[in-house]
Amino acid sequence: MTSLFRLTIATMLARKMWAVVLLASILTPIIFPLLTPYETNTALLEPARAQTAWTCTWIVAILWTLSQAARFGESNSNSGMGSYFRSQGVGALRQIFALWGAVMLSLLPVVLISVAVCLIFAMPADPKEASMWVWTNLQFATLLLLAIGPLALLGVGASSRFGALIGYVVPTGLCLYGLYGVTYLGMTIRLRDDNKILEWLYALSPQYHLADLTPRLIFKMGHLPWPEFSGFLLYFLAITVVASSLATLLFRTDPLGN
Amino acid sequence: MTPSPSDPSRASVTLSKGLAIGYQSILATVTEDIPLKNGTHYLLARNGRGKTTLLKTLAGLLRQRSGQYTTHGHCQFIGDEFYFDRELKSKAIFKALIPEPHREGALQLAEQLELDIDKEFGKLSFGNRKKVGLVIAEFRILKDHSNLVFYDEPFTGLDSPAREAITDQWLSTSDHTLRIVSCHPDFDSMAMPSALLISDGEIFRGSDGNLTWADFKKRLS
Repeated sequence: MTSLFRLTIATMLARKMWAVVLLASILTPIIFPLLTPYETNTALLEPARAQTAWTCTWIVAILWTLSQAARFGESNSNSGMGSYFRSQGVGALRQIFALWGAVMLSLLPVVLISVAVCLIFAMPADPKEASMWVWTNLQFATLLLLAIGPLALLGVGASSRFGALIGYVVPTGLCLYGLYGVTYLGMTIRLRDDNKILEWLYALSPQYHLADLTPRLIFKMGHLPWPEFSGFLLYFLAITVVASSLATLLFRTDPLGN
Repeated sequence: MTPSPSDPSRASVTLSKGLAIGYQSILATVTEDIPLKNGTHYLLARNGRGKTTLLKTLAGLLRQRSGQYTTHGHCQFIGDEFYFDRELKSKAIFKALIPEPHREGALQLAEQLELDIDKEFGKLSFGNRKKVGLVIAEFRILKDHSNLVFYDEPFTGLDSPAREAITDQWLSTSDHTLRIVSCHPDFDSMAMPSALLISDGEIFRGSDGNLTWADFKKRLS
């Protein structure tokens, strides 16, 4: 497993996209808010930085992390690497987690940069607010990783079987639907009373918007109450179990279906 | 005979009579018990006769249709399609896959093979890409264990000096490594001290000894 993990990390480093991603993660939240007419209300500058930092992280996770997951899943299956490692006794489960681990490890610095930007460049002056700010950012980081992690695993699994396009489009579609589509579905249900199908669809939909704590940061609403946060954790862990099971069922180490 | 797991010199493969390989249907069947020990064994057959299928079966990647076989040793299967990311340099590939104590040897072999390790994999010629896989397999061999290495057409695209360097490398580790190498030799004088043949749906052993490709090719159909 360590060899495949190391090879995946080496491949990502060689592609050099990580440099662009890290640079964008650092510079975007610092520079973009300065391009707005922030002079009219300088108090908005700090929440704007936090918003930009986390929006940038979501974009990186969706555009980069999920696409990397799809590429590695497909190439492991098609390049002969999956067969090679399996002949050495590295089974499918260890392979998928080696690929996934490397992909998620590449997202970790981006998440940490967002937290750091929020704590260094957007920290509230009030000590009570500052404490809440720290916890909100840590909760956000945890929930974002818990939301993207299973989607990346699904990407690796699906792309190894159906190709990189499917392996990218499906998790990305699920993520965007869970972030935005579900909210619109909820509004539709409220407008149309007693539509059981839509209600079931809503209940079964992945509620990824729960992992987006940007409004809490912008409006300084404080961190999630701990019981609520624990509930969110359990919800995303349940999604993790479902997505992991599906991903490992889909994953294959060679194009012939093994 | 089952070799002792603690005996590193006893890599072995035994194909039992009746072993049948294939996907949906049987491609070929072993017609006699074939015990193989350390050293290099060439696997010869015309296209589509089951060379890759046999190697994949022995490597545990495919299930046999029927019959039995046994293997003993740390296994590696290097398929004919074995490639890396286009932007990855061979040096980085070796660093990721070859244990540090063996890396110097790998770099020496790469130099002997005239493989530019600072060039991206995607910019290497077909033959040079093959060399990357060969170097990796050779230097992931475990020194204190018995090893099985199954190569699927490793010589395709390789020039003669590179082939000689590879076969020399094989000789240097043949005391604890069994290799089965499928290939389509392109010169009659290529020495094949041991060969497995697949012809007319049968898998059998060619005679051992000082034989060459010329002796075997007329037996393939």
